[in-house]
Amino acid sequence: MRRAPRSLIELTLPVIVVGVVVLTLPLFLPSFVASLVTKMMIYALFGMSLNIIWGYAGIPSFGHAAFFGVGGYAAGILVLRVGISSFWINLVLAVVVTAVVAAILGIPAFRVFGVGAGATNPIYFLLATIAFGELLSRGAIALRPLTGGSTGLAGIPAADLGLGFKMTSGRYYYLVFVVLVVCLYLIYRIVNSHYGYALRGIHDNERRMQALGYNTWLYKYTSWIIAGAFGAVAGVLFAHFGGIMVPNNLAMMTSDIAFLLVILGSTTTFFGPIVASVVYVGVEYLASIYLPERWPLIFGALFVITIMFLPQGLGVEILRVWRRVIRGTA
Amino acid sequence: MSTALVTGLNGLSYAFILFLLAAGFSLTFGVMGVLNLSHGALFMFGAYIGLQVVSQLHNFWVAIAIAAIALAVIGFGLYFFFLRHLYNKVPEQAVLTIGLSYMIANVVLWIWGPVNHMGQEPGVLAGVFKVGTLSFPIYRLFIIGVGLLILALLWWVQDRTRVGAIIRAGMDNKDMTVSLGINYGLVSTLVFLLGMALAGVAGILGTPILGSYPSMGDNLLLLTLIVVVVGGTGYIQGTMLGALIIGLLDTFGKAYIPQAALFFSYIIFLVVLLVRPSGLIGRKVF
Repeated sequence: MRRAPRSLIELTLPVIVVGVVVLTLPLFLPSFVASLVTKMMIYALFGMSLNIIWGYAGIPSFGHAAFFGVGGYAAGILVLRVGISSFWINLVLAVVVTAVVAAILGIPAFRVFGVGAGATNPIYFLLATIAFGELLSRGAIALRPLTGGSTGLAGIPAADLGLGFKMTSGRYYYLVFVVLVVCLYLIYRIVNSHYGYALRGIHDNERRMQALGYNTWLYKYTSWIIAGAFGAVAGVLFAHFGGIMVPNNLAMMTSDIAFLLVILGSTTTFFGPIVASVVYVGVEYLASIYLPERWPLIFGALFVITIMFLPQGLGVEILRVWRRVIRGTA
Repeated sequence: MSTALVTGLNGLSYAFILFLLAAGFSLTFGVMGVLNLSHGALFMFGAYIGLQVVSQLHNFWVAIAIAAIALAVIGFGLYFFFLRHLYNKVPEQAVLTIGLSYMIANVVLWIWGPVNHMGQEPGVLAGVFKVGTLSFPIYRLFIIGVGLLILALLWWVQDRTRVGAIIRAGMDNKDMTVSLGINYGLVSTLVFLLGMALAGVAGILGTPILGSYPSMGDNLLLLTLIVVVVGGTGYIQGTMLGALIIGLLDTFGKAYIPQAALFFSYIIFLVVLLVRPSGLIGRKVF
């Protein structure tokens, strides 16, 4: 199903083209476009992180914002309340905190994500993960001294890279780009490793994987923690991008964005969520200019259109066209 | 003590509204295998339709009937245009219905605005019922009565009728049921429409207590999910038990420990998931 591209051009050409375009974009275009692209990159990482468990392991989590939000809140709290200013230390600590949260929540979550009968119908798992996000967002509202309560944790400063490097929004663009590239490389290596193939095997037939001697629970549980860790990186980038984290960043509204990114992008291609985040942020921007009041209607319609008319996702469609182009010219 | 009794009554009436809502959700989920996350938004839509009818015709009873019929019709549309094509694809159903609930909430906001519209109970049911020094609002007693009636009806259908037998058989083994020549598709569609109608009834019944505002769908959807998981799916008595626990817990929590009230339902939910994933009274549907 998820075959590696045959020729080297097929894979490297788009990567290089996209990389060069993204790197040179801020030189030609006004800064608000760069800011949109920064947001696209953050959402791309957010979507990719969910795709690790959804697309590869076949675990559709409905509460992925929990990790995004915990990561973002952790970074904000470390800067504002604890007083650690270094971006790098905060990034690592936020990822560790989120991984711990994921490890705790994973225990009840995978109790209901059974093998066989349970695995074919993940309704209870969906319900459980929805509740995690809500529980954490209510926690963020209740722990006012730490999190700023329902108005959110405001005034998160620009990322401090140390060595007297002054952060601007133009430079933040490149920081996000670098972090995204590193994360994409790591995710790519993970999903194309022995471990990643085991996850795909579990997706296709968990019983058979068990028969082959795999501890499938452990694979699913660890993939959930890994996905949470990458989601936290997206959350940290987001916290420094907007300067504020609100309880909604942990809850359903934000989880739904991740869900849309994966399903619109396609669960069967690696780069799908990147394409989807470009579309999503673009549509959101246009809506914010022309029809700000109807945004939830448009947002909802994106879900419906995707499911009814693009069930495979944009990634698969683009791949099909691209393969035809490559084979046509070669 | 006296306030505890009044709070208990409030909690019970709230529990019965949750029951009506969750019963529809759980029936759809158990019988059709469909996860309808727009159930909360449709409940809210039903409340608005009911209020509109009340303001035009000044008749609460007609409003209940129209809200129920309108939601059944919407439910049929939902089934015909969307869910029919997504059989056995749970994540897809979830994504689709989440999208629909955003759309419904925004359309409601568009038509009726963001203000919380409180419903007015009909004159017959206004006022209070006095026992000594305690006074109970009659309307809340009425909700409990309606809830009990519907509970009894559903329970009877489930255990004593042919339709109930078909539903139970279908949940045990759908293919076998179909192979016996039973039109299970028809039965499950009708059950789905019944569930939607119940949501409409719950919506309009709830307006004098909960009001109606565009974001209420999300809040009630989450409570419904918790009720269904705590109670278990597949049995109407499980849904009732879940609704009682969550309704009473939420009401007493808000009355006595408002800061922590938000968490109680979720903690119960997590404990049930950990200890008894199939719910307190539930069959393994899937």
